[in-house]
Amino acid sequence: MLEIRDLVCAYGQVAALKGISLQVGAGQLVALVGANGAGKSTTLRAISGLVKPRSGSILFEGRDVTGADPRRMLGLGIAHCPEGRRVFPHMSVAENLAMGAYLRHDAAGVRQDYARVYADFPRLAERRAQAAGTLSGGEQQMLAIGRALMSRPKLVLFDEPSLGLAPNIVEQVLSIIRAIRDGGATVLLVEQNAYAALELCDHAYLLEAGRIVMSGPGAELIADPHVRAAYLGGEVETAHRIRA
Amino acid sequence: MTQALQHLLNTLVLGGTYALLGIGLTLIFGIMNVVNFTHGALYTFGAYAAYLACAALGLDFFLALPVAILAGLALGALIELVLLRPLRGSDMDTTMLVMIGAGIILQSGTLWIFGGVAKAIPTPFPDAPLQIGPVSLSWLRVFVFAAALALIAVTYGLINGTRLGRAMRASFQDADTAALMGVNVGFIYTATFAIGSALAAAAGALLGPVYVVFPQMGDLAAVKAFAIVILGGLGSISGATIGGFILALAEEFGAGYVSSGYRDAMGFLIIIAVLLVKPTGLFARAERIG
Repeated sequence: MLEIRDLVCAYGQVAALKGISLQVGAGQLVALVGANGAGKSTTLRAISGLVKPRSGSILFEGRDVTGADPRRMLGLGIAHCPEGRRVFPHMSVAENLAMGAYLRHDAAGVRQDYARVYADFPRLAERRAQAAGTLSGGEQQMLAIGRALMSRPKLVLFDEPSLGLAPNIVEQVLSIIRAIRDGGATVLLVEQNAYAALELCDHAYLLEAGRIVMSGPGAELIADPHVRAAYLGGEVETAHRIRA
Repeated sequence: MTQALQHLLNTLVLGGTYALLGIGLTLIFGIMNVVNFTHGALYTFGAYAAYLACAALGLDFFLALPVAILAGLALGALIELVLLRPLRGSDMDTTMLVMIGAGIILQSGTLWIFGGVAKAIPTPFPDAPLQIGPVSLSWLRVFVFAAALALIAVTYGLINGTRLGRAMRASFQDADTAALMGVNVGFIYTATFAIGSALAAAAGALLGPVYVVFPQMGDLAAVKAFAIVILGGLGSISGATIGGFILALAEEFGAGYVSSGYRDAMGFLIIIAVLLVKPTGLFARAERIG
């Protein structure tokens, strides 16, 4: 569904991506893990059109969409749920959702999707008239997810959806992302919480300093000694202990 | 008492047009982060457009007003597309200098074309003022107040009740994320500058017949617009509305009870006081969102 070939992106003189290639198959949940500054967010920003690539290409459903603007990408069916939630703080919950459906003109379908988001996230329904900036971090993340879904995307890009959230909320957010994949959408997930992402995904890529250094099924990466040492630390043992 | 009532009535009339000026400026600053030094020139432009519509096209004042507003909208869009769009992403000082230059060109152009002699815009209102008990008000001023209120209401409706307005507010709060929602942020900037310019032109066309029309009339208007925006908090539309009326109140009562020579000084006294006490403006939001 999505294919990236030799993508190079730079901010001024600083190269953020040094030629990465990856593939996301339809209906898959693919995770992109790596340290801070490895280029994970840049990859997503290049896909959604916020960053113009220096070279390389991005193909979506077989079409070359390299360098297209965010409006075109959204129109093609790619929604980007940005890092730090980025809800519009002085707009109500309902208005934030309306912004998610900004490009849509099928009023009946949009109304249906409001109902679906409110059914999936009852907290948002309760607070629909409230300014988004007054919501808790978890609620804001739910709103950001709901807003992304309002465009009826084929592919959803999630950038650090668990960042800064309490552990029980993280669980909830991750299960929502899995439910989105199970509902038929394709997901590309960027996470610093490598263990959770690897456990959740169908396939994963490991990004280090602007290069993809490893890829494979999540379980394979979890089992890899380099990944364990550099990214999972004590987490695997802790997780096993909790389970035991 | 009668005198105070009369001042209050004048405040309402003046405040309406001040609010228009302030809303235009605060919209442009809030959404685009551009300090618009052409605002005074656009105010002058609106007055001359109304004058031309009356004198050259033979339209009456009621038709000249929408003509002036549309002309302001068009000139604003042109300025944004030609001068500001290529400068997107450059720092604020650069756009500020370019806007100062554009303001000088507009003002000198007006002087060149129309000369320095003041023009009057004819209006169809009767000479006898409207008498409300002990106070009186010319029909022209009644109309100016009503038209200003109507334009403020239309602007509010546009910003808060339309798809365009929602996209404007979203771009104002977070331009990148608005782009991710499919908003054409470049178009939003053009629309914002055009709407802000149209409001300035409307204020000029409304106050043109109250006073007279001359090339430098925008200078003081621009200073007052900045005063109103500082007073109300940068980027706040309701703040600009209230700020417009506060400035008008201070001017009217300052002129009436202190000295009419200090009329235009009152605004600056208020600005100094506000900046000393609450530098973010009286109605600023808790955080900068521009």
